[in-house]
Amino acid sequence: MANYYNIDDILTEEEFVPVVFHKAANGVLIDPSSETNSVEQGAKVELPLWLAQELCLRQAVSISAPACFNQKTRLEIQADAACVDLRSRSPYFYEFGCKIAPLVGDKTVEVLLLSAFKIRYKEILTKAYTAAHTSTLKFLTLLTKEETNLYEAAQSSMAAFKKWRKGGPRLQRASVLGRKRKPIE
Amino acid sequence: MAGQSDPHISLFSAQEVEFMAEDELIEIVPNMRMDSLNFICGDFGPFLPQIATEVPLWLAIALKKRGKCTIRPPQWMSIENLTRILEGERDSQGAFQALPFHYVEISTLLFDHARDDIPDMYMVRSLVEDIRDVRVHKVETSLEKFSGTSAVKIPNLSAMEVNIIRPFVGRALQAFYKHDNPEKIPDVDRASSGQTRVPNNEPREDMSEGGKIVPWMIIYSKNIQLDQASKVIFLLYSGL
Repeated sequence: MANYYNIDDILTEEEFVPVVFHKAANGVLIDPSSETNSVEQGAKVELPLWLAQELCLRQAVSISAPACFNQKTRLEIQADAACVDLRSRSPYFYEFGCKIAPLVGDKTVEVLLLSAFKIRYKEILTKAYTAAHTSTLKFLTLLTKEETNLYEAAQSSMAAFKKWRKGGPRLQRASVLGRKRKPIE
Repeated sequence: MAGQSDPHISLFSAQEVEFMAEDELIEIVPNMRMDSLNFICGDFGPFLPQIATEVPLWLAIALKKRGKCTIRPPQWMSIENLTRILEGERDSQGAFQALPFHYVEISTLLFDHARDDIPDMYMVRSLVEDIRDVRVHKVETSLEKFSGTSAVKIPNLSAMEVNIIRPFVGRALQAFYKHDNPEKIPDVDRASSGQTRVPNNEPREDMSEGGKIVPWMIIYSKNIQLDQASKVIFLLYSGL
């Protein structure tokens, strides 16, 4: 599978989701503050997605929508998607949403993601190709990993082109030869 | 070579695009006599003084550097033609004017090496820069317009411009495709003349398994120096 070794995918699945346990579990240390090593039935815990997914398949837990997709976020995105700080919620916002959607059975998530992404994409586009560095620093902190990749791709290709336009020698002296070497006595 | 330093960005470096541009044929007027040169790519010559010959650009630059020829600027690089193209670019909002595929690289190389062979060099140079600016701006606006598609067609884009936007658009299209998964996109008709949308016919039920369909970006361009309208198709694979 293309995504098994993908670091971004692995990190996406590290995000926490709230789950409700259907069965009691022994010998697990999920909640550091609890005295016993077990989780009772009906307890609400935050688990990473990879664990929650497996347990859900075995019918041991039921997953509810994570906090980053709650109503507050949705309202913010509807108001102005470009300024929402998605990175503070989760740096893998979009991928996380894609993975969560089939588990939680929530159809509205994809629409939300798509609309948010469209708007932010326009912003990234305009800023990536034209702007100077100082004005965009604040904007960059709002982007998720995916969007940051987009931005950097555009930036690097533009920078490479400008460097080529400036000219300069077509053959470069290797850096190893640059140092003055003492003659060996 | 292409994209080696960063495996995720499928990009030719600017020098590589320039290298490919140097294969274009250009007219020179040699001032010496030489026998014909036999290369793998073709035979050129024999070179006689003051007889115009067509050679690839790299050979022309090399001969020029040794002072053995003067380069005749190509037809499209005259002031009238460039002014006409500039007007056309400014007037039409969505479409791009037909320019040679490698016009950026050819003009840069000629300005660097064959400065005295081009009449009114400063004028030509500023015209080319203006054309490039207008086109870059147009590319940006047309990129803003598309959303929710997985294939984009932009005719008459030049090699260097394609190269600049390639990683960005590849990634963006991939992201759009990923997010568009479960729902059908409504068929919105776009009025811009330079773009068409390719309808998505692939089945979309279960994309979470393997079988990731790679979004394509097909850019058609016409090389006006060739007689038949040969279309050069660049397939951009967003890196898997």
